[in-house]
Amino acid sequence: MDKFWQIVKYEYTRHVFRKRFIFALLSLPLMLVFLLGITLLSGLLISDRSPVGYVDNSGILSDAVMTGNPKDPFEPGLSMIAYPSEAEAESALSSGKVQAFFVVPENYPANLNIPLHFSADPDDNMLMQVRDFIKTNLLRSRPIADLERIQAGTTFIQVSQDGSRQFAENEWYNLAIPILVAILFIVVIMTSGGYLLQAVVEEKENRTMEIIVTSVSPMQLMAGKIIGNISVGLTQLFIWLFFSGLAILVASRSIPFLSNIKLPLDYLVKNLLFILPAYVSVAAMMAALGATVTGSQEAQQVSGIFTLPIMMPLWFVAPILSNPNGPIAVFLSYFPLSAPITLALRMVFTTVTDLQWSIFFIIQVLFAVFMLWLAARAFRIGMLQYGKRIRLVDILRKEVRHV
Amino acid sequence: MTAIQVENISKSFGSTRAVDDVSFEVQPGEIFGLLGPNGAGKTTSLRIILDIFKPDTGLVQVLGGKMSEEKKNHIGYLPEERGLYQDIPVERCLNFMAQLKGLDKKVAEERIAKMLKTFDLYDERKKKVKELSKGMQQKAQLITTLVHEPQLIIIDEPFSALDPVNTQMVKDILLQERNKGKAVVMCTHQMAQVEQLCDRLVLINHGQVVLDGTLSDIRRKFASRDVLVLYDGDLPLNIPGVRQVVPHNGRRKLVLDETTTPHQVLKELVNTGVQLDDFEIAVPTLDEIFIKIVSGRDLENG
Repeated sequence: MDKFWQIVKYEYTRHVFRKRFIFALLSLPLMLVFLLGITLLSGLLISDRSPVGYVDNSGILSDAVMTGNPKDPFEPGLSMIAYPSEAEAESALSSGKVQAFFVVPENYPANLNIPLHFSADPDDNMLMQVRDFIKTNLLRSRPIADLERIQAGTTFIQVSQDGSRQFAENEWYNLAIPILVAILFIVVIMTSGGYLLQAVVEEKENRTMEIIVTSVSPMQLMAGKIIGNISVGLTQLFIWLFFSGLAILVASRSIPFLSNIKLPLDYLVKNLLFILPAYVSVAAMMAALGATVTGSQEAQQVSGIFTLPIMMPLWFVAPILSNPNGPIAVFLSYFPLSAPITLALRMVFTTVTDLQWSIFFIIQVLFAVFMLWLAARAFRIGMLQYGKRIRLVDILRKEVRHV
Repeated sequence: MTAIQVENISKSFGSTRAVDDVSFEVQPGEIFGLLGPNGAGKTTSLRIILDIFKPDTGLVQVLGGKMSEEKKNHIGYLPEERGLYQDIPVERCLNFMAQLKGLDKKVAEERIAKMLKTFDLYDERKKKVKELSKGMQQKAQLITTLVHEPQLIIIDEPFSALDPVNTQMVKDILLQERNKGKAVVMCTHQMAQVEQLCDRLVLINHGQVVLDGTLSDIRRKFASRDVLVLYDGDLPLNIPGVRQVVPHNGRRKLVLDETTTPHQVLKELVNTGVQLDDFEIAVPTLDEIFIKIVSGRDLENG
């Protein structure tokens, strides 16, 4: 096997089969499960599932049709119990048989006011269930199709100027998920960039690098490390995406809105393409940094500076979302380190033409090539300079070729 | 084919001249000592030979030509500061290093297993490198230096952290390698080891070669006009041509004047009936020569 691939394989297996990687891999799904659990638990604890009583003086609820699904974890359906008089309903409320009761006036729906009597403040779910119950029974004489249509109401579809992108206002998840995926990319880049930084610093500190460069060229070593660590990151990313998809598929059986989730293919492809040169840039920066700093503590401090421009779009998320073609959004799209997240955000809300995207992409690729070149020089000059910090000017000086 | 040919190499770092016009050559089948005090330029010279650094001026040829990626497979290097991956098992680390030297996976595994047994490390092979003692790590590092059967072996302080038994084992291995026709370049501060092992040496000080040649040539060059004697009874009070008599490691050292030869002194002692048990020319140790050159002083004379 070629020595370059030996290094790629070593770097890959070294991280992937370590406990730290397994923990990192499990951390995201575990966090999601934890958050989901907390949401469900809080729903269960906060939402009062005891029945609601009613007194129907108008007759619209005689032989009432029950609504809501009691097994829905987020919006559990509630039982509705009819009482012949307010006194009996009041007695049921006092004894705790019902959590509240409402009285439909005789002249409903001419009079739309419905008194709701309760012992504790009614929660949102109860109010929604009562509204659905009344609405459904009011319209029950209509055909089912009409009923469903009226219940669904009106949805505004936001359409981008060229019509290439559109989102329904009630499909908020189709806006949130691309952003979450973009943030996921960044988490992966920074995590595996951190692995690379640590690996290079350690090898420099314990002098392994000096041995390795008597077997392979510094360029082979650096490139092998970068590709190995990028592969680790991509493995992490694909595993997360695969299991997220699987989880959505399984969960969509009991959580209906999940089955409506759809990621625009061009959005995914363009962002995946964009992430690769961005990934190479960050990895090259980390390799260069590792080779030029004096120790792991300094490496951690300096790497924080690189994180800032990458995360910068998140600070400006409000101006970017409110004006996705504004000066801040456009400027951050041109700047290589901030471009991946900026574009991921912009492309949800506006149209970035193929020409614009190509320009941003070319800038990103050129920056990645430049960073590789810079990293190779930094690696060559810095790998054996123990205890001495290398300045950028040292790397750029022509004499580097003599080192 | 010359193993190493170094011609007039110089290398500066900023305003510091680390190596200044250094030349030497190393032949197959010899152990060559590269000596010098700390900071003399030895390690920089080695790194230039290994193509880790490029010289500012001068020429280096290794194994008959310029250094290439392919030639790296025929060189074994043991740096002064050891460098093994600390967080992985010994066996895995050594196998990876061996494969980077171009060995096939199966061959590497077989050789590593054999060498681990030779170096008494086989039972430790599953341990992480950092769990080994310093001496064990040194032996593991030696395995990475030798496992690919290199034509050229460059070792920097090979005996550090080794106990006497392991020191002797490494010495035997180096002599075996030399006898197989390999070229061995050894950097060390342990002059006793150099005296026992090296066929030729260069001494570098302040980046320049200040001494080179075979061990016997160098000793002869630095031999003084003094003789060491061991005898029964007393020495005559005045021996013609002898300026001074001083104790020296249980013997007496006779310091001769400019015109007297050891042969004349021997003749005089025999004629005067001194019962001689030993008579030899006072050849300086390599330690003494080293200190004399590096510090610019003669130890005996303060």
